[in-house]
Amino acid sequence: MEPKSTTPPPPPVMGAPIAYPPPPGAAYPAGPYVHAPAAALYPPPPLPPAPPSSQQGAAAAHQQQLFWAEQYREIEATTDFKNHNLPLARIKKIMKADEDVRMIAAEAPVVFSRACEMFILELTHRGWAHAEENKRRTLQKSDIAAAVARTEVFDFLVDIVPRDEAKDADSAAMGAAGIPHPAAGLPAADPMGYYYVQPQ
Amino acid sequence: MKNRKGYGHQGHLLSPVGSPLSDNESGAAAAAGGGGCGSSVGYCGGGGGESPAKEQDRFLPIANVSRIMKRSLPANAKISKEAKETVQECVSEFISFVTGEASDKCQREKRKTINGDDLLWAMTTLGFEAYVAPLKSYLNRYREAEGEKAAVLGGGARHGEGGGAADDAGPLAAGGGAGDGVDRAGHDDDAHVGLMMGASSVGFGSGGGAAPSYYAAASRKAYGAGEGSKVMEFEGEEENGGVQRGRGFASHLHGAVQW
Repeated sequence: MEPKSTTPPPPPVMGAPIAYPPPPGAAYPAGPYVHAPAAALYPPPPLPPAPPSSQQGAAAAHQQQLFWAEQYREIEATTDFKNHNLPLARIKKIMKADEDVRMIAAEAPVVFSRACEMFILELTHRGWAHAEENKRRTLQKSDIAAAVARTEVFDFLVDIVPRDEAKDADSAAMGAAGIPHPAAGLPAADPMGYYYVQPQ
Repeated sequence: MKNRKGYGHQGHLLSPVGSPLSDNESGAAAAAGGGGCGSSVGYCGGGGGESPAKEQDRFLPIANVSRIMKRSLPANAKISKEAKETVQECVSEFISFVTGEASDKCQREKRKTINGDDLLWAMTTLGFEAYVAPLKSYLNRYREAEGEKAAVLGGGARHGEGGGAADDAGPLAAGGGAGDGVDRAGHDDDAHVGLMMGASSVGFGSGGGAAPSYYAAASRKAYGAGEGSKVMEFEGEEENGGVQRGRGFASHLHGAVQW
């Protein structure tokens, strides 16, 4: 016990080998599956769907390209895989909240730490676009709600953002006159059923 | 409050994809998940006095989230606390969303361990194709870095078999190499270096490359401390851990062979 306490710097990594040692048996069945998805992953990814306006679409597409170019540059610059902007132990806890999840390879939280960064950057960036449309310099919750409402890939978040905020965001998105600071409405009602049947 | 609602949402969303979950089952799943976190923390031993029941544990730290948010905004932009908290919740939902999809895939393929490729596949399926190419590059570089560490450890091995294990671990996803490593580790109870090699091979072969880096880092720090007694204690503990790990791996290997 005492020797471990003398090495506090690597706590995020400390949990990985002790908590979830991957069984060697997994190496055999994992073999063919590791290679199988490779072909599907090699083709260049398509850009997210552009907004309706052609000019806005062009600008958004350009910004998206800049965003992903920067992501590639940052990834190429990464040389130390021990320091992450997000704690791996916490990511693992969130993954383990699902009882069906049994064992997690040590590389999985590492992948998530990067994926979550991209997710946060994209969500925040799209939210900021809404704040600018309303001539504000402070990002509000309603801006995040607007980003969720406007972006199809974020549909799984509709229940996280209160419906009242989303409705205000939808109004703003459609060009209707929305108040700058949406009033606090009633707690979110039951989630709309048809969201759940969307194909994933 | 929001936490429970969020997890209930997760249950609902996942119904069309996997087996349908009733409200009761969703609740049971959440409770079991909580238990899992508890045992996980216990298993980590000296991980600290964190309480698994903390609401905060279900989110990533707001300071980290806030720092990342600022990177995509102009310098003079401000972020309300509500916005930070909302993004915090959204990120946890994103992790659960992708993990659930990857877990379903592993179950269909009768595998127990979720690895990086499963997550990339899940993101593609769920509409995050744009994330996959950068992450693929990142994951490959991570695996290369871990492979290099294994090679370095192999160079320092005091037994030929240990070195062999390291060589076998070279190819990505080398199941055979991992197996050989486990065999050697299991049969060589006295040489902790050999056990470390076994762990390295197994870890790398099945995607758990962090194991060797942990031991290497801890070992370096222990020696750096310059306290002989602590070094000895650490070595003893490592050896015990290695023995347990080796035996566990050997057992799993036999199970796999029986299949």
